[in-house]
Formats: sequence, C-alpha cells, structure tokens
Amino acid sequence: MFRAECIFCFLISFWSGFLTAQECPFYLQGRVIDLHDGTPIFGAILRIENTGQFAQTDEDGVYLLKNVCLEELRLIISHSECQTLERRIQLSENQSIDFELEHHINTLEEIVVSEKQKANVNQSVAEARLTATQIDQYSSQSLATALGSLTGVATLKTGNAIAKPVIHGLYGSRVGIVAEGIRLQDQEWGADHAPTIDLNAFESVQVVKGASALKYGGDTAGGVIILNSFTPLPRDSLYGKTRLTGSSNGRGGAVSSQWILTRATGFYFSGQLTAKRFGDLSTPEYILTNTGLKEGNINFKIGRSKVIKGWELFYSRFQNETGILRAAHIGNIQDLLRALQSEVPLVQDPFSYRIDAPKQQGVHHSIQAKVYNQFSEHSKWKIDYNYQQNQRKEFDIRRGDRADLPALDLQLQTHSILGSIQKKVDFDWDFEWGINGYLQDNYSNPDTGVKRLIPDYLKYQWGSFLTGKYEPNNLGSFEWGLRLDQVNWDVQKYYTRKDWTDRGYDQLFPSFEKEYLPTQLLTQPQFQFITLSAHAGFSIQLGPALKSTGAYILSQRSPNAAELFSDGLHHSLATIEYGNLTLDKETSHKILVSVSTEKNPFSFSLEPYLARIHNYIYIAPKEVQQTIRGAFPVWQYNATEALLWGFDFQGSLDLSPRVQFNSKTSYVRINDISQSQPVISIPPFQTNQKLSYIFPKKEVRIEIENQFVSSQRYFPDFNVVVNTLEGDKIVGQLVDFSTPPKAYSLYNLNISLPLKVTPKLSGQLRLMIHNITQTAYRDYLNRMRFYADEMGRNGSIQLILNH
Amino acid sequence: MKIYQKYLKTFALTVFIISLSCTKEAPELVDEQELITTVRLSIKGPNNSLQEAEWKMDAPNTSTIQLAPQTQYEVTISIWDESDPSDPENITNEVKSEADEHQFFYEFAGVEIDFNSATSDVVDSQNNPLYVVSEWNTGALGEGSVQVYLIHDPTTKTSTNRAGFGGATDVQVAFDIRIE
Repeated sequence: MFRAECIFCFLISFWSGFLTAQECPFYLQGRVIDLHDGTPIFGAILRIENTGQFAQTDEDGVYLLKNVCLEELRLIISHSECQTLERRIQLSENQSIDFELEHHINTLEEIVVSEKQKANVNQSVAEARLTATQIDQYSSQSLATALGSLTGVATLKTGNAIAKPVIHGLYGSRVGIVAEGIRLQDQEWGADHAPTIDLNAFESVQVVKGASALKYGGDTAGGVIILNSFTPLPRDSLYGKTRLTGSSNGRGGAVSSQWILTRATGFYFSGQLTAKRFGDLSTPEYILTNTGLKEGNINFKIGRSKVIKGWELFYSRFQNETGILRAAHIGNIQDLLRALQSEVPLVQDPFSYRIDAPKQQGVHHSIQAKVYNQFSEHSKWKIDYNYQQNQRKEFDIRRGDRADLPALDLQLQTHSILGSIQKKVDFDWDFEWGINGYLQDNYSNPDTGVKRLIPDYLKYQWGSFLTGKYEPNNLGSFEWGLRLDQVNWDVQKYYTRKDWTDRGYDQLFPSFEKEYLPTQLLTQPQFQFITLSAHAGFSIQLGPALKSTGAYILSQRSPNAAELFSDGLHHSLATIEYGNLTLDKETSHKILVSVSTEKNPFSFSLEPYLARIHNYIYIAPKEVQQTIRGAFPVWQYNATEALLWGFDFQGSLDLSPRVQFNSKTSYVRINDISQSQPVISIPPFQTNQKLSYIFPKKEVRIEIENQFVSSQRYFPDFNVVVNTLEGDKIVGQLVDFSTPPKAYSLYNLNISLPLKVTPKLSGQLRLMIHNITQTAYRDYLNRMRFYADEMGRNGSIQLILNH
Repeated sequence: MKIYQKYLKTFALTVFIISLSCTKEAPELVDEQELITTVRLSIKGPNNSLQEAEWKMDAPNTSTIQLAPQTQYEVTISIWDESDPSDPENITNEVKSEADEHQFFYEFAGVEIDFNSATSDVVDSQNNPLYVVSEWNTGALGEGSVQVYLIHDPTTKTSTNRAGFGGATDVQVAFDIRIE
C-alpha cells in the first residue's frame, strides 16, 4: 500500500512540479522523525494545501518538496500510524525543516508546554531530558541522582541514597513529579526524603523548569519532572529491556527487567521488576557505617490503544529500606560540635549489608485508570483517576526494646482525578481545558511513642485550568495558560498548652481549640487557600538554526504540612523543627529566557532566569532552647521576600565526526531581600566538561568527564555558640554548621560497547568509573557533610539487553 | 458537547461521593515513651544528711547544690518521666537494665570534686561502672557547676571526659554547686 501511494505521490509531485517550475524554483527538504525516540518515519506524506504538491519520506525519513513558492505554505504531514501534523511555513529561501510526528493520538497531551519545549523544527535532544543512555547508566541509582546530571538540576541529599531533585535552587513542594500523567503524592516536604519512584519504569524523563505545565499544578515554582513509560504500537510484538548493574562501592547492584506485549488490535500488556541491594558505602579512607540500601519495585500495565480512543489500567509498587549513617545519630548540639571537630565519623564498623537504625522504610502503591476518546476530528477528552498510598517509617536508635518500633510512622493516601478536553482550531490554535481534584488523608500512627512530627489531616484540593497555543507558522508560536486552585485543610493536632500560648495561637486562633487535657490541647486548624497560576511565553525562530524563547510564569503555592504543622526533633542535625500556623501562600513571578542554536558542529543553549518570590517560606534557627538533652537550636518556618536568579548553559562541539566535546554550567543565587542575606542550601556554581570518542571499529565509545563544584560563597550564618567544658572551665564554643565545604573536582570515565547477539537481541556493555582519582570531598547539599566525606571511587559494570 | 457533558456529570458525581465519605476520627494522644522530664540527684552526706537537687522540664529554676569542703558524699542519680504528674515513671531502671548501652557521667567546672563509682553502683557486662551511685570527694571552698550526662551508645565506656565517650547525649543538664 505504501508503495502504491509512493508512486502515486511521486507522479503527482513530478507533474505539479513541472507545471510550476518556472515561477517557484525553491525547495523544502528535511526529515520526519518520531517525537519520542528520534527514529525516522518512513512513508509519511507531506502535502501542501491548495496545491497538488506531495512528497513522501524514504526509509531514512527524508523528504524533498521541489518547486515551492516563496509564500506562506499550509503543510499537512500525515502517516497512517501517527497523529497528523499541520504547520504553516514561511519560506524565504531553500530551507531544511525537520518534523516530529507523534505515534498515536493518545500521546498528544504529553507534548508538554514548557519553556524549553522540544520544538517542531529541530532534531537535537539536548534539552532537559534524560536520554535513554542516561536512564540506563543511572539504573542502579535514584531518580534524583540521574536528574542531577542535567543542567540546572542539583540534588539535596541525606547520605547517598536519600536524594531529592533541586531545580533552579528550589526543592520539595516547589518541584512536582508527574508520573504517567498524575502528580506523585509522597511526603515531599521533608528534606531527608527521596521521591518514592523507580527511574527504571520510565522511558521518557523530562524536566520543565517552571510551573508552566499548568495541567499538573501551578504550585511548583522550581519546576516539574515528567515521567512517562513506553508508547505502545498496534502490532503483534513482544519485546523488552533488561538492565544489570554491579558496583564496587557498596558491593551491590541492581537488576531491572521489563517486558511489553502488544497486539495489532491495540491491546497491550507490560510488566516490570526492579531489585537493588547495596551494603555500606565507603569514602577513599573509611567505611560509611550503616549506609546500605534495599529496594524492590514492580509495576503492571494493561490497556488498549486505538488511534482515536483507548483505556489503560496501571499498578505500581515501590518499596525500599535505606540506612542512615550511624555516626549522624546525635543527641544535642554539643554532640554535633564533636562530630564537626572530628575528621572522621565517630562510629565506624566493618563493612556489612545490615541496615540498622537509624533508617527509613518506604512503601508506595499507585493504582491508575485512564480513558480517552477523540470525539471529533480535532477534539478529544481524557479522564485519569489515581489512588496512591504512601507509607513512611523512620527508625531511630532508641532505649529499651524499641529499636524495631518506628519513631515516625505516616500513611498518606491520595485520590487524584484529572479530566481534560483538548481542541484544535484551524491550523493555528490549540486549547486544553480541564479540572483536577485531590483528596488527601494523612494518618500518623500514635504507637510510635514519639510526638507526631506531622499531624493527622484531610486536604481537599480543586483546580481548573485553561491553556492554549497559537502557532501561526514555523517561525514562532505563542503559549499561555491559567489555573485556579482551592486548597482546604482540615487538621487535628495536639499542642502542649504551653506551646500553644507561647506562640500566641490562643489569641490568634481560639476557634481551633477543641479539647483541653491536663497538659495538652487538641486543636482542629482549618485553612483555605486560593491560588492562581498563569503562564505566557513565546518561541521564535531567529534564523535557520537560531531559536529564542521567553516566558513569564506566575505560580502560587499554599504552605505544605511541614511548613504549617511540623513539630519535632531531627536527630541528624540536633534541631527542633516547628511549623507556623500564620503562614500564607507563596507567590512567585518567574521570567525565563533562552537562546539556542542547533547548528553543527557547534551548538549551545543559554537560559537565564529571574524570579521574585513573595512570602517565600523557609526554615531558619530562631533561638537556642535549653532542654533536658542540653542545648538545641529551634528552627521555625517563616516567610520572607526572596529574589532568585541564575543561568543554565550547555554547549557541544564536534571536533571531528568521532570526537565530541560537551560542556554544562549552572549558577543560581537566592537572596532573602528583607534580611539582606542569602538563603540556605542553594546549589553552588557547577560546571561539567565531557570529551567523548567513538572508535571506528565496533563503535566503542569512551567518555571522560570532569565535574567541578565550587564552594558556596553565599550562605547565611546560622552558627550558634554553646557552652562547653574545657578542663574545669566553661567556655563558649562556636558550632559552625553554616560554612559550606570546599570546592571539589571529580573525574569520571565511561566506556560502552554495543552488542549485537542476534537480530532480535542487542544491547550494550558498559564500564563506568566514578571519582577515579579517589578524591575526598564533601558536598554542601548533603546533610551528612557534618559527619563524613562523600563516596570514593565506584566502578560499575553494566549489561543492557534489548530483547 | 452532549457527549462530554454526560461524562462531566459522572465525573462530578464521583468526586462528590468521595468527598462525602471522608470524616476523620479524633487522633489518639501519643503516649510518649522515651520522654525524660526530670533529673534528680540524691546527695547523702556525713551523718546521713540528705539533699536533693532537681532539674525539671519547663521549670525555670534548678536547685543549687550545697556541699562542705573535704567531705565525702554519696550521690544517687535518677531520671523520671513526670509528664503525667499523677503517674511518675522511673526511667533509671530501664537504663540500668541496658547498662552496656548507657553511661552516666559528671563533669565539674570551677569546683574541686573527684568522683568515682560507689560500692552500690551498677556495672555493665565488662565491669565498667554506670555511675548510678557515685562517691564525690570535695576539695577546697569554691563556686561552680556540675554537668550531668546520660550517654546513649557510647563508643567506649572507659573515658575520663565526656568527649571521649562519644555516643548520643540523652541527658545533659547543669546544677550550680557551692562548696562552703
């Protein structure tokens, strides 16, 4: 059928070309490729509307439209397995334009409106997306660690395994994670919390640096991480991928395997399994006692995807157990001082796979159902329902036989619903309208025998959004969006009667008081926040390979559970943390600009940004409290005015067809402008250089990477002076937990060898060495930096099989 | 339009039902199990004279210990959970039963006092004193203070100062001492 079509359109274009040859001597050429994996699309038809001109792509996806006029063309690109693409093209000379087609209509909505949207006119994938190779390489590590390899993304860590992504210096509730089209609902507010999600389950990992993906929420001033798994094709096939990794540091590894079964009828089924196990990690000089990790994940998906409608059911389970450095479990600020004064961790045991207290355990279930239908040629609706249950337990070193009893035991259940309607009007306009609701229930188990850090609560949230895009031609487009949310909190929390009056809540919130007990008070705080988010941006083609984008994003966020209610002690920093009931919503105005070229051999992108955050919620020490355990700094959440700015840069240069140089740099500053001081825990200046070489034979690829992280010079001074005994005299000593560690430079090496076992079985064999030079260093964004160095050299061998 | 109006109604109804079905019970009050609210020193001097010094959570003043010079005292430490005043709980027993994982210790500032384990003291499995009961020998006249520690999981049990023990501090309070 393709062949017949091909001859037909060849003849037509020849004929029409003959007719118009004299007036219009120009041509338009390029490639049509798959939006997801960049593979060429064969047999796509490109038709110029109102003329008889056709072209068809060959096996490399290449097309050529000859005898084209210098005028505005209305181009229709179609393929039997793909969503038809319509574009206006303003031709000014002979031009080369590439198009990306999307397999199937159901993935239409996954083209995320971002400030750095994967444009329709380029072929590079150097944006803030993880490549398939990167996902493979980080298979045995956490999502945040993998994302940390992207420009503008850093990681906030507690040890090595507990890591969360930081985008443009913001993290926690300011960064959203969207998996399979629904926001991940775990206890993202904690600094010592890692997203309960497995990187191996996803094929597409994209970072949107701003709250411009309004469909998924307007509260993430930092950005959104969008994760999607495979796109099923309607053909009879059984395929999959297996990843095996073994690492020297921690003497452990990971196994992950996925199988996908698709049918020509559109039915598909997939299953995926991941298991990880590591023992104690080590620095160049010593073992990091109790830093092991165990993880086991599974997911299933079943669905039917016909071009215009479909449905899907999805289940995933994530479970892990992570040890926390033994030496980091301390009692009071004097203990912290001793830890700071010691070069090495104060507790060191021989290597072991055992995970003892202090440790964390997490279990996350997600069940999802979605249906979509295209009810007219250019309109479609979609409904997603999702239920998530997140269980988190933290174990401390405790007296008596309570070591097995968690000190924190939270269960967070969330129902999410997202319904949307997409509509395309004529060639130029796209709209999407939808509603999004959440119902969240947090339960804090009282059997812990420890005061609740986060209280029991119910949270209801409703939102509605409208987004649109106007794309008059290939030279530019304009996007905009609006979202309104209402968040209601219904909380039940015990305060000690003393705390309640000390903080003035008895005057401010007498209506919350519910039940009076001898020393405690049961309260029922109820809050409502209404937040507005908006986005407007453009993309403009300044030259054949030069593109520029700009966007303004307004995002508002209501305070999270920790910021409002947190109440407890943190053993790893000897701090008492208090929430603040008087907090109001946080408003961020962010402007992002970018300039990028895609021209070989040199390409680059530069993305500066600026944000002004009103009511920026942050935690800072308020006073030193004398308790029966000794001195404790009390940290309390407060709001201030913040100014944030920075830039992300990346460039690549092809020195020869086999040698490539890549460079990435990012810098961010956040200042508290009401108090004229920097904000705490902001990623320092970072730059990475990578040189890669591909051997002519066997396509063996070698990469050498240098990673330089400077010392953070801008930090607030929260140091305290504590009284300690020296000899028999009491002297004040400075506990310096503010000064960031020194700059460091690491070298990494990757060697990969493509494997071709049989036509159906191919893969990669990879050797990766991290920190080759055994550099001892500490990282400012790691909460364990007070106690120990970072990991030393780590050699990994990895086998990837595509079957 | 009609098609999705129908779906919207179903959608709205579903959400309405979900929201209705949720009301939460009042949370149980947490029985805090490892709370220490009180540190008490019982100081037995010559002629069985008895003096008590107390450090209490949420109480502004602690007692000053009055001692005589060149005298021996027997000091017994006890720690308590008195969060429920009608049911004070003696935590010292729990510490004694886990003698290997704990250590009481004293450090003095500005006063001359030597202390060592008393005959009725508790020892751990390695025969190291826990200093639940200790003998204090005072020196010359003076004014100063004592730091009282309870250390959890010390790295060693044979140190001569707090820093050497390592571990996590469970209790650290100070009492003023006057030797006169």
